[in-house]
Amino acid sequence: MSRRSLIGLATVGALLVLWYVLTMVTGTINTGRFPSPDDVWVAAGQIVAKGYANGRLHIHILHSLKLVAMGFLFAISVGVPLGLLMGWSRRAEALINPIFLVIRPIPPLAWIPLAILWLGLGDAAKIMVIFFAAFVPAVINTYTGVRNIATPIIEAARMLGTPRLALVSEVLVPAAMPSIFTGLRLALQASWTTLVAAELVGAVAGLGRILNVAQQDLYPGMILFAMIWVAILGWSTTKLLAIAEQRALPWVQVRG
Amino acid sequence: MSGIRFDAVRRIYGHEGRGIVTLDGVDLAIADREFVAIVGPSGCGKTTCLRMVAGFDRPTSGSVKVDDVVVGGPSPERAVVFQQFALFPWKNVFDNIAFGLRNKGVAEAERRERIAHYIKLMGLAGYETAFPHQLSGGMQQRVAIARAYALDPVVLLMDEPFGALDAQTRVVMQEELVRLSRVNPRTVLFITHGVEEAIYLADRVAIMTRRPGRIKEIVNVKPIRTSENWDQHAKIEDVMDLPSFVHLRTHIWKSLREEKGVEGA
Ligand SMILES: Nc1ncnc2c1ncn2[C@@H]1O[C@H](COP(=O)(O)OP(=O)(O)OP(=O)(O)O)[C@@H](O)[C@H]1O
Ligand SMILES: [Mg+2]
Repeated sequence: MSRRSLIGLATVGALLVLWYVLTMVTGTINTGRFPSPDDVWVAAGQIVAKGYANGRLHIHILHSLKLVAMGFLFAISVGVPLGLLMGWSRRAEALINPIFLVIRPIPPLAWIPLAILWLGLGDAAKIMVIFFAAFVPAVINTYTGVRNIATPIIEAARMLGTPRLALVSEVLVPAAMPSIFTGLRLALQASWTTLVAAELVGAVAGLGRILNVAQQDLYPGMILFAMIWVAILGWSTTKLLAIAEQRALPWVQVRG
Repeated sequence: MSGIRFDAVRRIYGHEGRGIVTLDGVDLAIADREFVAIVGPSGCGKTTCLRMVAGFDRPTSGSVKVDDVVVGGPSPERAVVFQQFALFPWKNVFDNIAFGLRNKGVAEAERRERIAHYIKLMGLAGYETAFPHQLSGGMQQRVAIARAYALDPVVLLMDEPFGALDAQTRVVMQEELVRLSRVNPRTVLFITHGVEEAIYLADRVAIMTRRPGRIKEIVNVKPIRTSENWDQHAKIEDVMDLPSFVHLRTHIWKSLREEKGVEGA
């Protein structure tokens, strides 16, 4: 294990010990407001074995994962090609950019009421909100990625007689790829943020639903347990994306 | 037939009237299979001239023709070795060289053969699968040269192609270029700051004025090279010692120095 991850592990370990001491040994923290490790452990046992807020843990997790995956994939499969088009064609840029200037300042969460009005409290509304949240960073970063390709690279491609299709697939896309991945990472983060918020407003299952019910039940152990799972899922999907990025971009010079 | 012709080429960057006049009436005719080097002060418009032949830039007035046809855009028939290499960072050495050949539709077997040939020639053997960022600047430049040569273009445009090389490698490349251009002559426009390099390589050396650039003088090297039998010396340092070579070098230096003097004033 690298020195960096050892230090990271030590920090997390120290925080856990501190948490244990402040809640269960000295009692400095009131466990009615912030749960002790024990409370979280009890909550975990309950939701894993018997279920909470309409379902057992894995049901909630799968539900949230499904919504994030659908919103995210839908957003990037529209957003990345649109970004490529805007980056390459001045005309497409002139046409589409004004729409972005209008949409971009709207926080994704502000779409929630409209989504519910159109699509109800079901999954479709949440996917739509996630879509809007993930779509913007996907488009913007792909677009700037293409725009920032160094002129000599494009000129070299033209000098080498590159046909139109190969120009896109073998030059524009790979050249913009580091920036595209930045877009994907931001889109993924936005997807999780938006998912939890959308589920908080109303849902039949999902991590946000657990948070919502636990809040009404005044159940801090369960609230923290759900938060921990949001973190775990967010972290592991981001990690997956990072692995995919390393695989896809062996040519990028790694720093440090 | 693939000569290059500059006729009264002017290039003004920015708005006409208020713009910067970069080239002010460049006239130059390069014959088919002739090797012409351009020397001149930094910023005088050498790269601009080359970019016009490549098809990346156009004259504000006047014309640039290749093979009696006005240059319309870039083409693999006019291969460029860029001042900043312009390799594709996401392709390894082999694929960087192969890309243009694939676009041209060169058959797989011939492609492999040609790439292997130039990889060996440029001293890149063993680095076929390396990415550009894993190579030194000099090695990247050699990949860029191999990429251009492998296209087997009728016109070769080289913008300070040996600038990033160490002295020893540069000499090897220069001798190699001479050998190549004697065996398989093609039309070459070669930009350099090295007066000796220009005399050693070129049939004619064109000297440019400081900006706004014009061709100030053309030194015809080839008759001297032939009459003084430079090619019987395999090594560049032997050629550089010849009185005829030294004489040309002094002449060109003086001419360039006048330009620098005006610029500094
Ligand atoms: N795209 C451009 N827009 C504006 N000015 C430009 C542009 N390209 C070149 N110039 C100007 O034209 C002049 C000549 O540039 P050029 O690159 O041709 O010089 P050069 O002779 O190749 O110099 P060097 O020896 O330093 O490479 C410079 O003053 C430069 O600022
Ligand atoms: Mg230049």
